[in-house]
Amino acid sequence: MTSALRVRPTKAGVAKVDGESSWWISAGTIVVLALAWELVPRFLDDRTLFPTLSDTAAGLVRLVSAGYWWSDLTGTLMSVVVAWLIGCSVGLVAGIALGTVPFIRTAITPYAIAVQALPKIVLAPLFIGWLGFGPQSKIAIAVVICFFPVWIDTMVGLALPKPNEFKLMQSLNATRAQTFWKLQLPSAVPMIMVGVKHAMLLAFTGVLVAEILSASAGGLGTLTKQFSSQLNMPLTFAVVIVVVVIAVTLVSIMDVIERRVVFWSEESRSRKS
Amino acid sequence: MVMMMTKTAPLVRAEGVSKEYRGRDTQMVALSGMDLDVMDGEFLSLLGPSGCGKSTALNIMGGLLAPTSGSVMFDGKPVAGPSRDIGMMFQQAVMFPWRTTIDNVLLPVEVFGQSKKKFAAKAEELLSMVGISEFAKSYPWQLSGGMQQRAALCRVLIHSPKLLLLDEPFGALDEFTRESMNSELLRLQAHTKATAVLVTHNINEAVFMSDRIAVMTPRPGRLVGIIDVPFERPRTPELALSPEFAELALKARSMLELT
Amino acid sequence: MTAVADRVSELRADTSTWRRAVSPYVVTVLIAPVIYGVWSYITNSGMVPSILLPTPQKVFEAVPRVVGAKGFSDHVIRTVSEIVLGFGLGALVGFGLGMLLGSSIRLRTAYLPFLSALEAIPTVILAPVIIAWFGFGIEGKVFQAAIACFYAVFITTLSGLGLAEPNSVQLMRSLCASKLQIMRMLKIPAALPVIFGGLQLGATTAIIGAIVSEFVGSDAGLGYLLQRYRSGFDTPAVWVMIGIFLIFGLIAYLILWFAERKIVFWRAAAISRPDLEKQ
Repeated sequence: MTSALRVRPTKAGVAKVDGESSWWISAGTIVVLALAWELVPRFLDDRTLFPTLSDTAAGLVRLVSAGYWWSDLTGTLMSVVVAWLIGCSVGLVAGIALGTVPFIRTAITPYAIAVQALPKIVLAPLFIGWLGFGPQSKIAIAVVICFFPVWIDTMVGLALPKPNEFKLMQSLNATRAQTFWKLQLPSAVPMIMVGVKHAMLLAFTGVLVAEILSASAGGLGTLTKQFSSQLNMPLTFAVVIVVVVIAVTLVSIMDVIERRVVFWSEESRSRKS
Repeated sequence: MVMMMTKTAPLVRAEGVSKEYRGRDTQMVALSGMDLDVMDGEFLSLLGPSGCGKSTALNIMGGLLAPTSGSVMFDGKPVAGPSRDIGMMFQQAVMFPWRTTIDNVLLPVEVFGQSKKKFAAKAEELLSMVGISEFAKSYPWQLSGGMQQRAALCRVLIHSPKLLLLDEPFGALDEFTRESMNSELLRLQAHTKATAVLVTHNINEAVFMSDRIAVMTPRPGRLVGIIDVPFERPRTPELALSPEFAELALKARSMLELT
Repeated sequence: MTAVADRVSELRADTSTWRRAVSPYVVTVLIAPVIYGVWSYITNSGMVPSILLPTPQKVFEAVPRVVGAKGFSDHVIRTVSEIVLGFGLGALVGFGLGMLLGSSIRLRTAYLPFLSALEAIPTVILAPVIIAWFGFGIEGKVFQAAIACFYAVFITTLSGLGLAEPNSVQLMRSLCASKLQIMRMLKIPAALPVIFGGLQLGATTAIIGAIVSEFVGSDAGLGYLLQRYRSGFDTPAVWVMIGIFLIFGLIAYLILWFAERKIVFWRAAAISRPDLEKQ
């Protein structure tokens, strides 16, 4: 009732737009873009280099019905998921080990900044040279790349509680372990989830780069490289579309998990106070 | 029940002003059928509890909100939107953190397309009148809440508006700061001879500050009466202890059906 | 990255809870020789194969060889140009499109949810496509870097324009501000902190885009050099190149850090007064 009295001018902010027109705008934009994709390449010289939407769709159909690519698809997916799991676990452990105690965290920070500044993808050729072309190098590169955001975000998350909250735990005579489990870890969960989501994208990037660079590693990246060097753009685009769909799906799943986990951690945090 | 002074034309005339909000199955009447005149140069309070429509009425007067029915005239012309002759002040100071304090005070000047240089002297004068001139080049986040509201007071006065509409501007401050800010406000209002409408839920504040009090009650939000406050100006804090003061406060309470 | 540095300054006050007599930075300095010692040990003892990590001495010896090689500075200029031009292009287009779509509340509300899903796309997958289109020259690398960083800048601009507090918009409206004035004097400054975050992320991804593109196929550049050294099994030189990339990354980080303190100065200083950092 009182909210009507906090009169906000009706045009400010976001709220007053109805969901229906949003739907029409998004759908309309997609249709326009799809039409552009279909028509614009027809006006360009080389249609083999710039496939239309229908060309790509045809390529996609050929790809899916061919079946030889399934091992590539599963190969990439497996590598991404495995690398992501390893990267997250190690990142979490390292983050907790180094990030719980403020003293250690502060001491480590300059190195964390330096390591973050390095674009870790530059290690890719090295790993391929060392581990060869198989899944080991793919996973190794992806692990190295995706481990760092999880590590750093865990450390940042563990540092989130304010001095007052630490004092509260102190006043309750909580042990360090209790402070960790009841205050630091639940506070860190949202940041950890951010790092873990980011890690998924990075693991995917790492695996794809490794596949593109090592032409016989198998996987969607390799396929892209193969098709594009044959200048078979419709098939290349088809694989790109597959990659995009997988990426969006993976992160959407992560979003759902994140919402659940963050909700739970907010609950346990409020219960503590 | 409503006293209208017909001697001079009022600065603001609200007639039958109502505001309704319609949801899909719900309907909420924020303000129903308000008739109110605000005379030139007076200090009028809109007093009432939450939900009585006082902020709604203020926003309609200021042109930020359109009434569902009824009309509002300002300075003889119908209110169709915000006006440069009306200055509004809200409970949040709303200082832009990327501007210095004095630049925040000069914000209206910039929006009106006028020269900052011409008004710089006035801005500095206002800042020193409220006592924060050494913070002119500081940023809002270096100032306390009270100091920010002082700056907001300067900002609302920089373009010398005819009408000041104030929506519980000092409500977020502590008691002591609020008292001193209210004294500042009265002093500056007298100095600039502006008309002021103050929204408040504090009976003592309303009696202390105003020439007239418009008492409002909720469900639905409406004006139930006007109290004349004939005390002399400038008003001193001792006034609050006088029996006449207490009498008026009691009258307000009974109109609000609190006793 | 800056989040870590911010938390460090907050924690300065925090260390009193755990009461230390000595500064943590003493440990920081001490770690360096430890790392060097470990590096020396694991490589000299043969625990780690030299094809992966050579001894410190070998790497230091390779530095003058790599840096002094003919045409080295050309490669540096080439890669830096790719990154700067690509970042500039992607950021400009991202900012422009974000401003265009973001100035309408209707469009912003419509696009934000479904565009957010696109943050997941690994733009490196386009590297072979871009090489097919542009060949090995600088244009392709610039394009790759631009595509890589476009999204971060675009989405932060788009969402940032909705950040202005309703109270602030109400204030501007009460001053009879036009829509353009509200955009220029309120919405854009209010969006700058978020947009800057997007620029930082975009810079990182632009660098990655340029490097990956050079790895996949290039005729010049630092990434190209690294690949060449690697296929020549010159691992010490490869590590020198990695070190150079580290230095470049740090320089980029420093530039962005200073730019942030100058352009969005209120965000950094206001972190300690969270109640006042919003307008």
